[in-house]
Amino acid sequence: MSIFTPTNQIRLTNVAVVRMKRGGQRFEIACYKNKVVSWRSGAEKDLDEVLQTHSVFVNVSKGQVAKKDDLSKSFGTEDLTEVCKQILAKGELQVSDKERHGQLETMFRDIATIVAEKCVNPETKRPYTVSMIERAMKDIHYSVKANKSTKQQALEVIKQLKKSMEIQRAHMRLRLVLPAKEGKKLKERLKPFLKVVESEDFDEQLEMVCLVDPGCFREIDELIRCETKGRGSLEVLNLKDVEEGDEKLE
Amino acid sequence: MGHKGLDKIIALQKNPANIRNLCILAHVDHGEKEYLLNLIDSPGHVDFSSEVSTAVRLCDGAIVIVDAVEGVCPQTQAVLRQAWLENIRPVLVLNKMDRLISELKLTSLEAFTHLQKILEQVNAVTGALFTSKVLEERAEKEDHAGETPGADQVYDWSAGLEETDDSHLYFSPDQGNVVFASAIDGWGFSIQQFARIYSQKMGIREEVLCKTLWGDFFLNAKAKKIMKGAQAKGKKPLFVQLVLDNIWTLYDAVVTRRDKEKVEKMMTSLGVKVMARDSRHSDPKVLLSAICSQWLPISQAVLSMVCEKLPSPLDISTERVERLMSVGARQFDSLPERTQELKNAFVQCSSEAEAPVIVFVSKMFAVDAKALPQNKQRPLTHEELAERREQARQRHADRMAANQQAQSSGDPIQMESLAAVKEPEVEEVAKDTFVAFARVYSGVVRRGQKVFILGPKYDPAQGLNMLPEGCMASDSVPEVPHLTCCTLDSLYLLMGRELEELDEVPSGNVLGIGGLEDFVLKSATISTSPACPPFIPLNFEATPIVRVAIEPKHPSEMPKLVRGMRLLNQADPCAEVLIQETGEHRCLDDLRQRFAKIEITASKPIIPFRETVVRPPKLDMVNEELGRQHKTAIIHQVKEEAPQSRFSDTLHVDPGGLVTITTPNRLATVGVCALPLPTEVTCLLEASSELVRTLEQVNMSLREGRSLTVSPRTLEDIAHLKARLAALLQGHKWKNAVEHIWAFGPRRYGPNILLNSVEGYQRPSVWQCLDPAEKGAEPCAAALRDLDNSIVSGFQLATLSGPMCEEPLMGVCFSVERWDLQQTRARPEPPSRAAATDSEGAEAGEVVPEDGGAGLEAAAAATPEEEAGPGQVTRHWAGAGSAGCYGPVSGQLIAVMKEACRHAFQARPQRLMAAMYTCEIMATAEVLGRVYGVLGKREGRVLHEEMKEGTDMFLISAVLPVAESFGFADEIRKRTSGLASPQLVFSHWEVIASDPYWVPTTEEEYLHFGEKADSANQALKYMNAVRRRKGLYVEEKTVEHAEKQRTLSKNK
Repeated sequence: MSIFTPTNQIRLTNVAVVRMKRGGQRFEIACYKNKVVSWRSGAEKDLDEVLQTHSVFVNVSKGQVAKKDDLSKSFGTEDLTEVCKQILAKGELQVSDKERHGQLETMFRDIATIVAEKCVNPETKRPYTVSMIERAMKDIHYSVKANKSTKQQALEVIKQLKKSMEIQRAHMRLRLVLPAKEGKKLKERLKPFLKVVESEDFDEQLEMVCLVDPGCFREIDELIRCETKGRGSLEVLNLKDVEEGDEKLE
Repeated sequence: MGHKGLDKIIALQKNPANIRNLCILAHVDHGEKEYLLNLIDSPGHVDFSSEVSTAVRLCDGAIVIVDAVEGVCPQTQAVLRQAWLENIRPVLVLNKMDRLISELKLTSLEAFTHLQKILEQVNAVTGALFTSKVLEERAEKEDHAGETPGADQVYDWSAGLEETDDSHLYFSPDQGNVVFASAIDGWGFSIQQFARIYSQKMGIREEVLCKTLWGDFFLNAKAKKIMKGAQAKGKKPLFVQLVLDNIWTLYDAVVTRRDKEKVEKMMTSLGVKVMARDSRHSDPKVLLSAICSQWLPISQAVLSMVCEKLPSPLDISTERVERLMSVGARQFDSLPERTQELKNAFVQCSSEAEAPVIVFVSKMFAVDAKALPQNKQRPLTHEELAERREQARQRHADRMAANQQAQSSGDPIQMESLAAVKEPEVEEVAKDTFVAFARVYSGVVRRGQKVFILGPKYDPAQGLNMLPEGCMASDSVPEVPHLTCCTLDSLYLLMGRELEELDEVPSGNVLGIGGLEDFVLKSATISTSPACPPFIPLNFEATPIVRVAIEPKHPSEMPKLVRGMRLLNQADPCAEVLIQETGEHRCLDDLRQRFAKIEITASKPIIPFRETVVRPPKLDMVNEELGRQHKTAIIHQVKEEAPQSRFSDTLHVDPGGLVTITTPNRLATVGVCALPLPTEVTCLLEASSELVRTLEQVNMSLREGRSLTVSPRTLEDIAHLKARLAALLQGHKWKNAVEHIWAFGPRRYGPNILLNSVEGYQRPSVWQCLDPAEKGAEPCAAALRDLDNSIVSGFQLATLSGPMCEEPLMGVCFSVERWDLQQTRARPEPPSRAAATDSEGAEAGEVVPEDGGAGLEAAAAATPEEEAGPGQVTRHWAGAGSAGCYGPVSGQLIAVMKEACRHAFQARPQRLMAAMYTCEIMATAEVLGRVYGVLGKREGRVLHEEMKEGTDMFLISAVLPVAESFGFADEIRKRTSGLASPQLVFSHWEVIASDPYWVPTTEEEYLHFGEKADSANQALKYMNAVRRRKGLYVEEKTVEHAEKQRTLSKNK
């Protein structure tokens, strides 16, 4: 039907196609590049800035427009704009380079921020700056995975960074109250988790204030709950043990 | 003149009367005479004024150099002020006189008036310093007299401006403390020189000529008399006629007209012989300097002035001694008696062995270890040479052997052995040592002597009490704060870049001391007597203002950076290094390559912000009255955002700003609304954060049943704080609010309040420590409800990072209006519960989750059990719920509370708060306008300006957002050519008026701003910058205009 001669060949170069399958039929709309993600996030509010045209296609590259019956059958409406909005919201699309780049960059920063928040320099007990973490991440050539949560990746990064620099997760300060009966026994089992025991008080019950790695909080919690049958308690005194205040270097 | 040997210098050092310690406040060449001149040259630019401060302290006199063309510059004022503050006597050199002739082409008469003007300017500066000091002292004295009538006359010498003699302060050629010079052409003269010449020629007495050669006098040729009033009669003043004219004709003949014959004639009349090579030189300057340097040698003029006019160490005034020795605001009289006795030693400046040694170290400077005399390459003796040769041969043999081995066993060994050989050399090169720049004020310093090193904060009275009588530095000494003992390892004579080792240095001399870097930070006093007070700290003209955050490029090099910063701190008197809470290392100088030797990036400092809420605005952006519609618009916006959160289905926002959220397991519901706190309350909380922190600690311990002893004073303070809060929180809305304060946040002591407005929940107030009856009798009178802690934690988390850009909140009050725990358990349990009362319930709680029931079922199943046994404890209950798919209930509640706070916050008009600097600017009247310009450009606000008494300086105080302050000091200095220098100090937080989420809503606003509100929204700009830095989502389009993208075709 279409004859591809240079004169009547129209190349769609600036088009991002959003596809959706509905009722066994494939629908497509023609959008501008780099705009669909902005629309979905709500940054772009002008529909005309997103859609090339308000018509719904069966195949954008061939220029085949969808039939009205099909539309009303699948979407229950003949209003093209409404259908376009639905497809925009739920259809699948190929993320353009700029969008992906932006997304990865934000994630990279986010990871660095989380790492900087969670970690300290073990020597000074002071946190690193975000920019330093970012540089360190670049140095170890960390590549961000778009489909993994930033928090997960941050934990991964911390592990990897430990090889190249002095870094460690900021300790959590906990207070454990253990009943006297189980106290002794439990203490032995808790030992490997506790980094520093700051105070220990054993009269009616064992009371300890200690620093632990935040990673093993769950395990400690589990251990205490199971072993003491709920009579021991665990209280978080400080999520992050960090040096505070400015220090004048002398 | 000429170079003297080291022996001669050592001999001269013995005689303090012939020593002149002086510093050059600008540059000059120098020579040497029978006097020993310890010259300390310091850079002239204002930015290096700290160097000047360190130099001035060690000197008795100073040569101030002023450009004859440019006159008094800011740096001139600065150095004069410093000289004045240190109480040292300055002499003036007016340099670059040749420029008046060759560049400005002034006539001799014009030049005279020009010089007069400059001299007046210089004297005006001195005068201003003098008057301000006198005024200040008089004011102080009045205060003093007012407080204690009939107090002793400490300031009896300065009763007032009129009575105080200030003539000796001023520069005047007839006093002999001014030299006119042209260093480039090698000439300089003082009036005395010419007076001597002309007294022989004209037969007028030298003293008379001295007095009249400068000023409004003229020579009556007929009467051969000197008369007054040259200007009035239109005659040439004496100075022009006798001095300047001669120089002018010389320049005219030599440089301008190049009249050979005339030059010959002049040379014979001056009695100057010039070498033929110079006179034939094509550049007239060569000839000129050849003539001048013989006729009016600059060195002679300057040095004779120095020797005659500047005091020797022996003449140190008692006044200056007292000032040096009285630290801070303390009077000299109040120092211990033994300390006062030291004053005599000071004044005598004796070099006898038994005189106490007093040395002041004004700065530490880095010297390459190779430059130290002991490390210097000496010509090697024969034996040494032979030894070395032997060593080299040995090494060579080793290497050969290693090579052979390596060939047989592989390369690594060879590498190893080579590395081993090279190592020691590397070690040596990398070292910098510090030499203390110091002066002996009394006694003789010997090498190997044991001395006390007194830090700037050392208190002699305390030291004397703690040390045994007659204690010497060589004895073992008990710990005294700011006092250390050490041995003086090496003493150096500082000769320009060269260091010469000395065995002893008598008093009155400047010297370098090695091996002190571990004891002295920047400046210190060294003495053999513990009674010696530390000298007053140096006066710095400029305080550090430029702050940069630096960090090593490679994180693993952090320790090296810290070491480097330490060294820098020692070397640069004006650098301060801070390690910040956030982990940034700040320093004030870029010259760290030398000290740290690693790659460093200096980053832009991070700007802190705070988030807050305000009352709903009554007016819109175009000052139109706002109806109810705006409010709904805001809430609408919140609702739009809400679905993104995890709590979408359980979140409810009502128009009053009350946000209710239920936990995912439907067990607990929290209702929170946010209110802005009055500014005064925020300030009060901010100011008393320490107190709140103690209060919180006391409460914490009370809750655990322990009692922490609190001093009655603290209790009083807390009661006072409570009363003030109550006074500030007036009105219907805040009724009883103070009693109901639940917690403060973030971190339990911040400027935000959590308010308990839950009906029927009586929880012990934060003020419980004030009421001893309650504390003593029944600590559980008003019981804590279960999971009370979770609510507080949620609040703490919410206040620590706000929804706008994750910065801490400030001045927000969250009022908990509703808190239901699944309806059935809304009532607090009876207070008489204890941990061990109900083991049955506990077991029940444990058994159920082990059945593996899914979260909701498990929790529901646990509920009746617990109701059956009312003595349930938090932990059991939490344990029961925790097996659910949503994690422990306490955790859920924290999250819910946090979310509730955030939404309540968003339901109100939100604002950013910016940190503000107060900025003190000293500026002269001429540059006021430009200062205002810079301030205006950077959104600064001038608070007030006033003139400083007795000077022409204006003192402007302004506030400036921290975010706009980078490069501010630089810009202002550039724009005002250094005449104004700002000082920035953090002062407070200020709400930025504009709403970061603002978009035009009303018709008028659309008209005024257009649909997109294109004019830059300052608050939005700040917010987005922070969000971007933190990697948060920024509402921003990847591409602004869809059609304007570049179309890249692939197949063509």
